[in-house]
Amino acid sequence: MRKIAPWLLWIWIMVVIWAAFFYAPLAEGFVGQSSRILFFHVPMAWVSFVAFLAAGAWSIRFLAGGRRVAHDHAASAAVELGLLFCVLATVTGALWARVMWGAFWNWDPRQTSIVLAMIFYAAYLALRSAVEEPETRRRLAAAYAVLGLVVAPFLFFVLPRLTFSLHPDTVVNLRGRIEMESRMRQVLAASSLAFTVLFFWIHRIQVRLKARAERAPLGRTRP
Amino acid sequence: MSRTASSWLSEAAAVFAKEWRCELRTRYALNTVLLFAFTTLVMVSVALGPMGVDSAARATVLPMLLWLILLFAAAAGLPRVFGHEEEKHTATALRLAATPSALFCGKLAFSLTLFAAIEALTAPLFLAMMQLPVAAPGRFLATLVLGGWGLAAASTLVAAIVGQARGQSTLFAVLSFPVLLPLLLLAIEATRAAVGGGGGADSLSRLVLYDAAMTVVSLMLFPAIWNP
Amino acid sequence: MNDGSDWALVAVNMIIWSGLFLYLLRLQRQLDRTERDS
Repeated sequence: MRKIAPWLLWIWIMVVIWAAFFYAPLAEGFVGQSSRILFFHVPMAWVSFVAFLAAGAWSIRFLAGGRRVAHDHAASAAVELGLLFCVLATVTGALWARVMWGAFWNWDPRQTSIVLAMIFYAAYLALRSAVEEPETRRRLAAAYAVLGLVVAPFLFFVLPRLTFSLHPDTVVNLRGRIEMESRMRQVLAASSLAFTVLFFWIHRIQVRLKARAERAPLGRTRP
Repeated sequence: MSRTASSWLSEAAAVFAKEWRCELRTRYALNTVLLFAFTTLVMVSVALGPMGVDSAARATVLPMLLWLILLFAAAAGLPRVFGHEEEKHTATALRLAATPSALFCGKLAFSLTLFAAIEALTAPLFLAMMQLPVAAPGRFLATLVLGGWGLAAASTLVAAIVGQARGQSTLFAVLSFPVLLPLLLLAIEATRAAVGGGGGADSLSRLVLYDAAMTVVSLMLFPAIWNP
Repeated sequence: MNDGSDWALVAVNMIIWSGLFLYLLRLQRQLDRTERDS
């Protein structure tokens, strides 16, 4: 199963790409083909939220489950990946904003949210690099990630609804109350699933890389 | 280890009393922070002038400035609540003498009262210097209390984390910013509503949510942060 | 509605994602090998 799973994912993503352009209709009110980016931008933002939760969950396991290094690896890998997806989501969002509203950046509440998430991830990594003693580092980082769990719902759900948003609500709605064409919904769901699986696959590889570095720390000072 | 409620309370009270005694002895935080808040206030006031912001924008812009000043004041004064323990090497003694939860509550109470003092001096001055009338003073006060609670609680926990790392004040700013910003935005929204006179109940209830969640999580996380 | 630019975009996307895929698969195989040997 392990051998074919990546290939299944690959086929799934290829289908999603095709469907994004040829199966789903264009969304109303969008410039040209730009609504297609929705099927990549939204899942990326969704995954960065998943990463947030994953980092917090693994950190709780680390703190409460015996301080096993593997859990800390999982948490920090989730943060690193989450940061990557955050950056991707921000960039795709900015490109889309440029096409739609003429400006890359507006400090629209959702844009603000994703930037704050990015800053949180970066702060987590800054904390890790500021503590020399490995056990202390893992403990403090885990505590901060759990703190992030408290902040996450505010960042991702409360803040975007706080003030008027340029974001088309029919499109970018993490809750799922989506009023869009059912075909678009299908492709969006398929894409989100694909990206989530992709995240966990890359995450697994990242954790194994960290474990390997731990066993043979050649040229690495920080596992 | 069975501790009666009253002994826990007396521990927390003892920590609280010790913090204030040290503080009043040196008056470090009070002096620097209040001076800082006042200086920032003056700078803002001079830069904007009483007429500098046109009246339509005042209700929108000024609350943000108030909370910015309060945020910076907190960042200046609160990290030391744990930092100076590590500096003065009193941390080990504390670890032996106090139960973590009592210790945290004592420190939290200190941060809360310190921040309340900062607010009590900064907010009225701000309102006076910027000539900002407040339509709903009750709600304004509630926002100060709730926002202040969140600021103090989150800052105390981040201070505990930062206390054991190097690069203290910059690291504190870096770590607390993403955690505090949602709170700040909520507080600003609520303040705008209080100044303008309408709504804001949503923001207030979310503030309560944030404060409750932050306090509970801090209490749960502190033992892990404090004890190796 | 679906003109040449659509096909181009689909093709570009497929190439990029497939490239990422192959890279990840290679990494995974490397890890499998070193873990088997160690």
